Amino acid sequence: MTTENLIEPLRVGTVVKILNSGYRRAKIAEYRGPLGPKGARVYRVLIQKKPRCVYIEVREDQLEVLAGG
Amino acid sequence: MPSAALMHWQNDRTLRLDAVEAHCAAVGALLPPDPTFLNETLRGFVLHLSAHFQGFCRDLYTECSQIWIAALPVGLQATAQAQFFAELRLDKGNPSYDNIKRDFNRFGFLLDLQAAGAAGPQQVTDLGHLKAWRDRAAHQGTRPLGGGVPAVLTPPIVQGWRVSCGALAASLDDIMRTELDRIMGVPPW
Repeated sequence: MTTENLIEPLRVGTVVKILNSGYRRAKIAEYRGPLGPKGARVYRVLIQKKPRCVYIEVREDQLEVLAGG
Repeated sequence: MPSAALMHWQNDRTLRLDAVEAHCAAVGALLPPDPTFLNETLRGFVLHLSAHFQGFCRDLYTECSQIWIAALPVGLQATAQAQFFAELRLDKGNPSYDNIKRDFNRFGFLLDLQAAGAAGPQQVTDLGHLKAWRDRAAHQGTRPLGGGVPAVLTPPIVQGWRVSCGALAASLDDIMRTELDRIMGVPPW
């Protein structure tokens, strides 16, 4: 499911894919606020990556909610 | 117009700090005086102030990096985001001048808050003193604080640190607007 036209921010724990990236699965860890260009919503997402987890911050329009997420 | 991070500092964080400062003033006015409770309350003020300044710095870093990254081709954006947020000092570290410089220098310039105005050196010194007292309060430190750090907390001292944090926030916002304008050719906000 794309994130276009979302009214509320995505919830913490939602499973997402970061579009146009090599990261297949990530989880929303924190809603950081409207800190992107022109007030775009920004999230801190958790990527399960061996040997340790990685956090990155991305815009909402870069995310696709995965089924069951 | 300031950054979203500075607007949040001015419209939300400042109000929260106002409430904490008012609480300190009320404790300071107690009769009979309760110096122990006042000291505990001021230590709480120090922790709140440091936390909100860290939050502002982290918000501004996020805002600037997302503006910068949005100008890249879409295929490069996630990679750049991973690089911008790897080992970010402000993510877990305190908002010391050293940590702020290390993070913001990733934009390809050398941050110099001391040169931001006539009061810049004093504001940076105040930030260092705030950090020293933040560590003492958080870790229940008992060792003497050197380097000109006040030995005793008083309301005017913490209020002064707060004024310096506000000025540093405005300076950092202004510096990043100038630098992003230079890098990208358009004002970021």
